Amino acid sequence: MTTDTLHPLAAEYLQRLRRAGRGLPPGRLRELIAEIEGHLSEAIDPSASDAQALTALDKLGEPEGIIAAETPDLDELPARRGTKEWAAVILLLLGGFILGFGWIAGLILLWNSRAWTIRDKWIGTLVIPGGLATSVLIGRILLGTPTKRLCHGILGGLEHCTTSAGQSIVAPVLGVALLALLVLAPIATSVYLTRRAA
Amino acid sequence: MAAKIREMAISQLRRGVLEFCVLALLRDGERYSYDLVRALGDADGLVTTEGTLYPLLGRLRREGVVDTTWRESPSGPPRRYYRLTPDGQAALGGFVIEWTRFRDSVDALLGNGVLR
Repeated sequence: MTTDTLHPLAAEYLQRLRRAGRGLPPGRLRELIAEIEGHLSEAIDPSASDAQALTALDKLGEPEGIIAAETPDLDELPARRGTKEWAAVILLLLGGFILGFGWIAGLILLWNSRAWTIRDKWIGTLVIPGGLATSVLIGRILLGTPTKRLCHGILGGLEHCTTSAGQSIVAPVLGVALLALLVLAPIATSVYLTRRAA
Repeated sequence: MAAKIREMAISQLRRGVLEFCVLALLRDGERYSYDLVRALGDADGLVTTEGTLYPLLGRLRREGVVDTTWRESPSGPPRRYYRLTPDGQAALGGFVIEWTRFRDSVDALLGNGVLR
């Protein structure tokens, strides 16, 4: 990088562009940065006044706007929602129930697909690793074992049952709220990934 | 509301024709990115922010209507030079004919102020 030959405000602009473009495929961002860096070094002399630099930057426009202009182009990639993308979304959500292997298969499909940006892929990976299977597992731990109902046959015409509540490590209301969140998060991620790949 | 609709229509028109304006600028030979962007930026009412032209140049490369070469610059970082490919030449030629028809029709209708 030759940012040392740039006007300080131009160098700062380039940093903002890099940050704004983190969701782009790395090759795309690199090309864009190279072009904009060339523009900045030609448009703004390193010794220019701040006012001159700001005028040139205004003409160039906001970094976020440039990234937004680059983003719809990603649709050109052979990236539409196909069988593999559907499989990835379904496996990420439910694959965890197949001894966890299903989720890993989903992860491989997710990262190999060109339908999603790096940011999408991280969301798909981290919310929530293991998908719904993890939610169920954590839910069990939070709420304790489900209520047991034991029946000891019929005594004097009445069924005799004892109910023993499972041990819950958190208050039931909080536990239910957490569980709802844990179930909704992977579902929301699936919806998000499906829409992003549309 | 009317202003918003007008602004959207103009912005879509710009987006549609800009690509061919770039190709037209390359008709007489190669130019580097900053030179292209300045030429477009200087045209009245064609470009609102120069920065958004760079993603457009990238799209033209991927569409194969332009070819590029990096060359050292006498000052600063290397420059990327653009030139038309045969595909680009054909696309430009076709667009010029279509555009002339389109422009004449729209002018004729707008000029009367009456749409029938």
